[in-house]
Amino acid sequence: MSILGRLAVAAAASAPVFSHAGLAGPSLSAPVMAWWVWPILLFITTFLMGIVAVIGGIGGGVLFVPIVGGFFPFHLDFVRSAGLLLALCGALASGPGLLRSGLASLRLAMPLALTGSIGGIAGATIGLALPTRVVQAALGVTVLLIALLMWWTRNPDRVAAHPADSWALALGLHGRFRDPALGHDVDWKVHRTAWGLAAFFGIGMVGGLFGLGAGWANVPALNLLMGVPLKLAVGTSGLAISIINSSAAWVYMNKGALLPILHVPSILGVMLGARVGVKLLKRVHSSTAHRIVILVLVLAGLRSLSQGLGF
Amino acid sequence: MEDIERRTHEQRSYARWLAFGVSVGFGSLVVSFVVYMTRLLAPGIAPEQLPRYWGLPVAEYVKATGAPTGWSWVMRLGEGDLLNYVGFAILASVTMVCYLRMLPIYLRTRERAFAAICVAEIAVLAAAASGLLLPSP
Repeated sequence: MSILGRLAVAAAASAPVFSHAGLAGPSLSAPVMAWWVWPILLFITTFLMGIVAVIGGIGGGVLFVPIVGGFFPFHLDFVRSAGLLLALCGALASGPGLLRSGLASLRLAMPLALTGSIGGIAGATIGLALPTRVVQAALGVTVLLIALLMWWTRNPDRVAAHPADSWALALGLHGRFRDPALGHDVDWKVHRTAWGLAAFFGIGMVGGLFGLGAGWANVPALNLLMGVPLKLAVGTSGLAISIINSSAAWVYMNKGALLPILHVPSILGVMLGARVGVKLLKRVHSSTAHRIVILVLVLAGLRSLSQGLGF
Repeated sequence: MEDIERRTHEQRSYARWLAFGVSVGFGSLVVSFVVYMTRLLAPGIAPEQLPRYWGLPVAEYVKATGAPTGWSWVMRLGEGDLLNYVGFAILASVTMVCYLRMLPIYLRTRERAFAAICVAEIAVLAAAASGLLLPSP
């Protein structure tokens, strides 16, 4: 079994199967396990998740919410809040490096993040108002669709030459970045800007609603829809997440959906795991990682869906 | 060429402010979590009590524990668990601060569209942070 396969099995084994308290109504019964076991299990699970997420080329948030929401005892409201903050922290931490290297474009991110922020606030507000079962079932469907999207876009960067549209020209959405792998500068420009703005509103809404990081959708929207080269799309997506999730995070925080015992170990686990993942990246075949991530998403999505439907 | 240099300057300026804010935010988060776990400050809700409540929807959790909503946590920073809010608040505010830094740059270079985007994003983030967008219970 590959390194990544063993990691995925370990992550699944470390995630305890727990009757989801959030769906069983108020849980004021005696706890089954000592309280301190949970942050340790969370740290181990999210550490492994961080490794798999980096190698699979996705953010930790998209794995975190369905897995922790499905297998840990925390209510989905707190898990979504933690997923959102986790994605925010990862994006914030990588932001300075991406901007300095030119692998993210601030000017490209700013207008898209504005519509994304509005969508994020709307999604978070709606998510906290809906019944848990509805959110859980919708999360399951969304995660399954993400897996499908990841399968469909497994060979991205099919950017054909295209003229910039009038919106892109007016905002000056063009530029040049140095691709370290190619060893030369790449010129870029965008088209379908209005569609891109609309797409980011929708992606922000889904991200805020379910607490998912949005790299899984931002990158195809930038690359396949707007014609941004893949490397710049990945970097700019990270920067946009750091802006979009800031607005949605406030909605959860203001509602009181902050449990340091859940949030802090998860954030530290994913971030440390991501650092290890970056080091393992060269030793693992990315297509294998991609397939494993899709498999994990399908399993987590089916569990979410079954919980939401009460099976 | 001048255009590329100006954009590089913008990005570096944003990156510098972002890096500083993120360091302060993460530092606060780690320190406050250590304070919470070691009980240097007594928590509002003891960790061993949490399993009774963490499976509740947030509205019921707030009602059952008296956990803060909005900005009321600021008045209760003497409680070890609520001290963690400081780090999260800093991390959620860093972007707004970076935009505030970018605004005078765009105004100086008379880039009205990006100045307007800055103002709009700051307004959206401030509205979200204020809690004014939340429906009343």
